[in-house]
Amino acid sequence: MSLFRSEEHVDRWLQRTNRSKGAVVDLQTVWRLANAWYSDPRWAAWRPRTRDESQQALLSVGLTGEFWELP
Amino acid sequence: MPDQTIDARQLLVYVYDQLLARGTAPTSIDLAAHFDTTPEQALLAIGEANLGKTLMPNPRTGEIWMAGPFSAVPTPYEVAADGVQWWANCGWDMLGIPVVADRRVHIDASCTDCGEPMPFDVDPMQPALDVQGVVHFLLPARRWYEDIGFT
Repeated sequence: MSLFRSEEHVDRWLQRTNRSKGAVVDLQTVWRLANAWYSDPRWAAWRPRTRDESQQALLSVGLTGEFWELP
Repeated sequence: MPDQTIDARQLLVYVYDQLLARGTAPTSIDLAAHFDTTPEQALLAIGEANLGKTLMPNPRTGEIWMAGPFSAVPTPYEVAADGVQWWANCGWDMLGIPVVADRRVHIDASCTDCGEPMPFDVDPMQPALDVQGVVHFLLPARRWYEDIGFT
């Protein structure tokens, strides 16, 4: 998951490195995803997320469809 | 030397305490000293914690490699607050650090394409970021954990 200035920079990098395009997500959405995904593991109630909870975190910020389907 | 096992929960709390206070993950030697056991037992505890990306051993050394969203090894994603500096695993995890640390942070990262610096601050209390940019997810979610280092 790499940072770029814009989607144009993603396309340029993909062409230069001969890679296929995945999904491009704006930083605001990634920030919302980080808030939905992470918490302090030192909390007494903390436990690893289940697969469904992780999928829900993606869904909660609008990341839906086959690309975002967890195994 | 004592050779006692390390409780996974206590291990997790200590690792994150150390990461947040010092910016670096404890080594097996650090863990052995803290838990009064051997480095071998510490490596075993890291490997057997079974917490996915939350505590992932380096496949080569067995030492802590990732403690999501933190990286135990240098990466291009540097995050700092209150005199402590961390590395994030990726462009997503750099935004996970202010959530876990629960404090305003400064991020020093750059565009993967052109290298242009993209420094910005993140406040967990603020819903909006004052930076423009995107994150490219190279692999679909079903493949994220096949090779987490590459992902």
